[in-house]
Amino acid sequence: MRRRIVELVIVCFWASQAVLHAQEFKVLGRTVQVHGFVSQGFIYTNDNNWLTMNTSQGSAAFTDFGLNMSSHLTDKLLVGAQVYDRNLGQLGQYHPSLDWAVVDCRLKSWFGVRGGKVKTTLGLYNDTQDLDFLRPFALLPQSVYPTDVRDATIAHLGGDIYGTISLKHHLGDFSYTAYVGHRSDSIYSGFAYLASQFDVYYSSYGGLQYGGDLRWNTPLKGLLIGASRIDQDLTGKAKFISPYNPAGGFVPYSDNSRADWANQFYGEYIAGKLRIDSEYRRFLHSDVVNGGILYTSDDVRAWYVSGAYRVAKRLVIGSYYSRYVITTAAGGPLAALFPAQTDTSLPANHVYDKVITGRVDLNRFWNVKVEGHFMDGYGDSLYPDGFYPQQNSQGFKPNTNALVVKTSFNF
Amino acid sequence: MGGAPVKENAVRWLTALLLAAGLLSPVSASAFATDVKVIANASVKADIISAPELRRIFLQQSSSLDNGTRVEPVIEKDGLVHKAFVQEYLGRTQEDLQTYYRALVFTGRGSMPKVLGSDAEVVSYVAATRGAIGYVSSDSDTTVDGVKTLLVIPAGNTAERKLVRSVEPKYPEMLQRLGIGGTVRLALTVAPKGNVENVALLGGNPILAESAIVAVKQWIYTVGRTRSTLEVSVPFDPRR
Repeated sequence: MRRRIVELVIVCFWASQAVLHAQEFKVLGRTVQVHGFVSQGFIYTNDNNWLTMNTSQGSAAFTDFGLNMSSHLTDKLLVGAQVYDRNLGQLGQYHPSLDWAVVDCRLKSWFGVRGGKVKTTLGLYNDTQDLDFLRPFALLPQSVYPTDVRDATIAHLGGDIYGTISLKHHLGDFSYTAYVGHRSDSIYSGFAYLASQFDVYYSSYGGLQYGGDLRWNTPLKGLLIGASRIDQDLTGKAKFISPYNPAGGFVPYSDNSRADWANQFYGEYIAGKLRIDSEYRRFLHSDVVNGGILYTSDDVRAWYVSGAYRVAKRLVIGSYYSRYVITTAAGGPLAALFPAQTDTSLPANHVYDKVITGRVDLNRFWNVKVEGHFMDGYGDSLYPDGFYPQQNSQGFKPNTNALVVKTSFNF
Repeated sequence: MGGAPVKENAVRWLTALLLAAGLLSPVSASAFATDVKVIANASVKADIISAPELRRIFLQQSSSLDNGTRVEPVIEKDGLVHKAFVQEYLGRTQEDLQTYYRALVFTGRGSMPKVLGSDAEVVSYVAATRGAIGYVSSDSDTTVDGVKTLLVIPAGNTAERKLVRSVEPKYPEMLQRLGIGGTVRLALTVAPKGNVENVALLGGNPILAESAIVAVKQWIYTVGRTRSTLEVSVPFDPRR
């Protein structure tokens, strides 16, 4: 562990010198920009293991990095791509993925088109959720942005239309995005990992994804409000061992969503060094397994309120309160295995997280964050919410305190 | 015999001293410290730019002016001029702007603008780069071939009232000779017919303001349905 930290420090020092020189180069007369980031975290929890790590022992299995290249082929046409990789406990496992690869044509300020693998606009932070160096917090509010299921909403293979429209009479401006595409989850994502506790092993999970976002930069300076919607039609292919015939070995498994949507409403206010934001997300997912042997339904309501203040040029402090509740229901012949959960006061059906954080910017490229989480509840095991039975075989305790230390470097 | 020139010189220096004292008063000092002017490569087909248009360009929401001219924003790395520009025209702190650009870069929605270290570097880059648009301190030397200063019309109902005729303000000879410049900020009341009915001084050197007010009163805007109030910034560059 100590060796790893020393190595990271050396790499950051070396890289911060190197990147001052080599962030762009020319190809056929066009400037190509190169940017990247790397982050390393450490989490210690007092009780439950969290985020698929053995955090009660202290875990540094919390690494991610990305590297991108982009170039303006014309003043209106941007092309680029980014590779992303992460290892978060049992998730990611250092299997790199194409994070985004876009051709973006902005014809007017009010109309542009982008296509390829495109980051999905959903709320304030969905498309930047991997980029913790943009924020004061080491972890976004997990109620609205669960890092273990980032694959679910992070990008789509398809296209967007977008633009910004200035309103007359000093009414600010509207930005819109509408998109349609295909979502494809990594088999190293939270959904797949959650299912493995039931001896279900996915080979693919994904499907149609479409939605939109509308945000209003209001005439009140610094105030933005907006709303997003996402709809999905998903199919999962897997193999599983039937609980009624374990000797039969693996048999084919599939699930299809009957409904999968989320509505998100948000507001952000920035006044000088103060930033306040808040979001509410309602997420509903129901699906049918193997043509009808099981129907499940998860209904998540989540919100947070967050504030941060830059107390000095290199120091930001912040805090948020994040609240997540879930209810579940099941039907079909196997429903008895999954009793309905409707009492959100039970720790199994909620996570309330109080967070304080401090961020120190060591230089323009490198920061360190120290964050405390004080959580009440551990969520429900039928939906990925940070706490998994695989790491908590002794059973869950109702409260969890976590210390998160994270450093990230970008250029 | 030699008394008249000595007296003239004494008056000139006294005037300069008083002007300097005026500039160093608390209110003027802050205005002076944060005065910026927007410059562009000579290829940019505009002499005037609205603050919202400027904002769209620097936030990469548009790569061309409303008249179709392609532009490329260039920013300064840090410093008072950068801070003043970012706060006044983009409504952000320097850190927020950095975060904004990084979010674009790491989501495939934009690229880092050209970042330069000083006014002089910005001026020479703008001079040499077709479509470049940047900002420098109002007292920077921009009398360079290929560089022009754009008049910025701050946020207002400019969408309804376009400036159709402008008159250059006359630079007070003595201030120009003494190298005293700056930006005068004015609030205009524009009549429905398009003429400037009233002018109020919002900030800047009072002597330069007199000249600016005389010029601005001759400006003509497009016809509107109602009376409009606009803010304009008039730059005075002693080296032009």
